[in-house]
Amino acid sequence: MRAMLAGALCLLAAMPVRAEDLVSGLSQDQVQITSNYAGTDIVVFGAIESTDTNASAGQRDVVVVVRGPDADFMVRRKVRVAGLWINRDKTTLYGLPGYYYAASTRPLPEIASADTLKRYQLGLNALQPKSASTRQPAKAEPFRLAAIRSRARARLYAEAPHGVEFLGYSLFRVRVPVPAAVPRGQYNVEVYLFRDGNVISAQTTPLYIEQIGLERRIFHLAHDLPFEYGFVTVLMAGLLGWGSSLLFRRSA
Amino acid sequence: MEIYLPIAEMSVHWLILLGMGAAVGFLSGMFGVGGGFLLTPLLIFYGIPAEVAVATTASHLTASSISGAIAQWRRRVVDFKMAGVMIVGGVAGTVGGVQLLTLLRRVGQADLVVSFAYVLLLGIIGGLMLRESLAAVRATREGTPVPPVHERHNWVHGLPFKMRFRQSRLYISVLPPIALGVIVGILSAIMGVGGGFIVVPAMIYILRMPTGVVMGTSLLQIVFVTATTTILQSVSNFSVDIMLAFFLILGGVVGAQYGVRMASRMRGEELRLLLAVIVLAVALRLLWGLVATPSDIYSVGTGGA
Repeated sequence: MRAMLAGALCLLAAMPVRAEDLVSGLSQDQVQITSNYAGTDIVVFGAIESTDTNASAGQRDVVVVVRGPDADFMVRRKVRVAGLWINRDKTTLYGLPGYYYAASTRPLPEIASADTLKRYQLGLNALQPKSASTRQPAKAEPFRLAAIRSRARARLYAEAPHGVEFLGYSLFRVRVPVPAAVPRGQYNVEVYLFRDGNVISAQTTPLYIEQIGLERRIFHLAHDLPFEYGFVTVLMAGLLGWGSSLLFRRSA
Repeated sequence: MEIYLPIAEMSVHWLILLGMGAAVGFLSGMFGVGGGFLLTPLLIFYGIPAEVAVATTASHLTASSISGAIAQWRRRVVDFKMAGVMIVGGVAGTVGGVQLLTLLRRVGQADLVVSFAYVLLLGIIGGLMLRESLAAVRATREGTPVPPVHERHNWVHGLPFKMRFRQSRLYISVLPPIALGVIVGILSAIMGVGGGFIVVPAMIYILRMPTGVVMGTSLLQIVFVTATTTILQSVSNFSVDIMLAFFLILGGVVGAQYGVRMASRMRGEELRLLLAVIVLAVALRLLWGLVATPSDIYSVGTGGA
C-alpha cells in the first residue's frame, strides 16, 4: 500500500501542475475473509494538494465511491392471480456492481448536475446497468429501482451524503462499511474532487476482497471437485451420525 | 463467535446453527421424520440463500437420520427389505427431481411451485393425521380398543408383484413402496426434505405397516435418499455448504438421540397428534407467504438468464 501511495505521488508529480490535486490511499488494500469474518470497515483517506492559496474551501467537494465486481441481476415482478402472488414479468440487468458505496461531503444533487452524476455513476440514482434484457428504458426502470432497493436492504448498496469527513483544510477521511455478505473479487475505490460542479481530479485504487485459508480451500474444492466434495460431506454426515449414536450408547 | 460460511457467503453465529440443528434433530428422532420441512424454511428465514438451504439441509438429514436409524435398529424395529425397495424408487426420483428443479428455475416458478406443493401436501397429511390421532387419543381415554390399523385391507392389497415383508408382517405389492420412494426422491431434490412427513403417514395409512416399524424404516430410507441428494446438488448446483452442514449436524445428532428417548416414553397416538399439529402449523405459515401481500413485489436474484 505504501508503494502504491508512493506510486500515486510520483504520478502526481509527473502531471501538469493544476491549482488543486488529489492524493488518496486505503487503510488496507486487501480484505481477507476468514472463518470469523463478520464484516469490517475500510478507511479511505486522502488530501487535496493546493497550489492556489486563494481557493476558498466552500466550493470544493470530495466524492468517494467504492464499487464491487459487476454481476447480473434477474428481477421478477409478482402479480396477484386468484389470491396467490405469482412471478410474472422479468428483466435481467447486466453489469450492476455487486457492492456500491458512495460517500460525499454534501448530498450529491447539491454537488453536481444530474448529467455529471450520471456520467460518473455517482449515487444510487445514477447507477445504471451496462445493459438490460429489455430495450425500452422506461420498462427497465422499475426493475432497476427494485434491484437497487434489494441491494440496499442487504446493506450492499449505500449512500453517505455526509460521509466524507474533513480533518482540517486538506485532509479527509471516509469510513466504508464492508458487510459480511460482500461478493469477492476486485473492487475499485474512486475518489473525485469537484470544484463548482465539475470533476477536476480523480483517482482510482483497486481493493481486493478475497477468501483465504480453509474457507478458500472449501470454496475451490466445491467448485473444482463437486462430486468428491459432496461425497466428503455425506461421509462427514454419516460419521457424525454414527459417532454420536456410539457415544450415546456408552453414556446411556 | 461468528463463523463465515464459504458457500452461503455470509457470517452467522455458530450457536444459532447448533441450536437450530438440535431442535430439528430432536423432532427427527422423536417422530422418525427428517425435519427438513422445518429446517429448510428456518434457514431461509435466517437469511441463508434458498438454494444453499435446500441442498445443505439434505446432508443434515443424512446425519440425523443415520443417528436415529441406528438407535431404532438397536430396538430391532427396522424393516430392511421395505427400506431397500423404497430406496430403489428414491434414487430414481432424486435424479428426476433435480432436473425438474432446473426446469422450474428457468421459468422462474420454482418458489411458487415448491411452496404450493408444501401447502397442499402438509395440509392434507396434517389434516388426516390430526383427525385419526384425535380419534385414537379419545378412544384410548374412553377405554375402547381401536383395531390395529395394519389388519384392515384396502386397494393396496389388490396390486400385483407381491412380496413378503416379515418385519412389518405384510404381504403386499412392491409397487406402492417404489412409487412412494420416487415421490420422496423428487421432494428431496426440490424442497430439501427427507420426505419423512409423507413416508411416515403413507406407511401407516396406505401400506398399513405397524407404527413401531415405521420410524426406523423411514429413517433408513431417508439416509440413502438424502445422501444421493447431497451429492447431486453439489455436482449440479455447487450449493452444499459443508461448514453450515457441520454445525447443523453437530446439533442435530445430539438432538436426535434425546428425541428417540422421548419417543419411547410417549404413546404412538400422542406422537402422531403432536406431529399433525406441527405439520399444519408449517402449512399455514407457508400459505400465508403465498397469499399475503409481499413487502416488495419485485424479487431479485443474482446471475442472469
